[in-house]
Amino acid sequence: MDLNSFIEKFAEAIELEDSSVLSGDTVFRTLPEWDSLSYLSVIAMMDEEYDIQIENAEFKQLLTIEDLVNYISNR
Amino acid sequence: MNPFSLEDKVIVITGASSGIGRHTAISCSLQGASVILIGRNPERLQETYTCLSEGKRHGSYVLDLTDDACMSDVVQQINTDFGRIDGIVHCAGISGTLPLKLADTAEMERYFSNNAIGAVNLTRELCKVGRFSKDGGSVVFLSSVAALTGDPGKSLYAMSKGALLSGCRALAAEYARRKIRFNCISPGVIITPINENLPHIKDPEKRKALEAKHLLGLGKTEDVANACIYLLSDASRWITGQNLIVDGGYTVQ
Repeated sequence: MDLNSFIEKFAEAIELEDSSVLSGDTVFRTLPEWDSLSYLSVIAMMDEEYDIQIENAEFKQLLTIEDLVNYISNR
Repeated sequence: MNPFSLEDKVIVITGASSGIGRHTAISCSLQGASVILIGRNPERLQETYTCLSEGKRHGSYVLDLTDDACMSDVVQQINTDFGRIDGIVHCAGISGTLPLKLADTAEMERYFSNNAIGAVNLTRELCKVGRFSKDGGSVVFLSSVAALTGDPGKSLYAMSKGALLSGCRALAAEYARRKIRFNCISPGVIITPINENLPHIKDPEKRKALEAKHLLGLGKTEDVANACIYLLSDASRWITGQNLIVDGGYTVQ
């Protein structure tokens, strides 16, 4: 999966104006925009765009954007 | 700079083909805004368009807010044509009197889809990243004093307008981070071209009774339009999640 296209979708999900601040190494929970609604939005985006349903416990283990991409690619 | 000015702001107005929506559109254009009109009827939208103040670029888009399939495309077109917006005024809606015995599911859905669901759908599309100004902005829902008081036969109308009041507070909390403010205006009875021929206003006896309930008499569309300008302008930058009652004193008694 293309990292840049995922970053675009991730930024849109958490309503981040400038997606250029994101990279594969970004620890997304440390973003100032991240909150409980961002979590719900990202979960919904992964379901809608990639048909992936992820449990909270599993999601908690994913720390960076790249972790998310790898998780989706390996499913 | 005058804090009440709308100079260089881009404002979307629904229900712009008549009544409060039309007057709000014209007033916003006079305060310097670029106005984007949304309505169902192309001819009546055009009538509003020709009344807008010259000097700024305005737009007009035919859209039925209950038509989910078309909304996304129209909003995309607005974004392409005008770029980021600074405000929305949701004036589109339906009114009516219906006793409980006739208030079936179909009627409830009709009221909610016209008065609440369409407004929230449009708001969602316009709040997507890249569509609202990076500096934030202001969203105004037209509720009604009917959401605050009880009148026979107004249950569905009151419920659908009350939904806007409740939803507005949650949205205010949700979007404060992006500096997008959400407020409601709740008008009392306003004389419009549509209702001035209806029995409760045309009949002199009934009109007198209605006027007696409004301490300052019945309202004009400009009374609501001016309240909209305030809530859209930077003068109200510290106000969000509120309901501004514009009713000539109807609810104080």
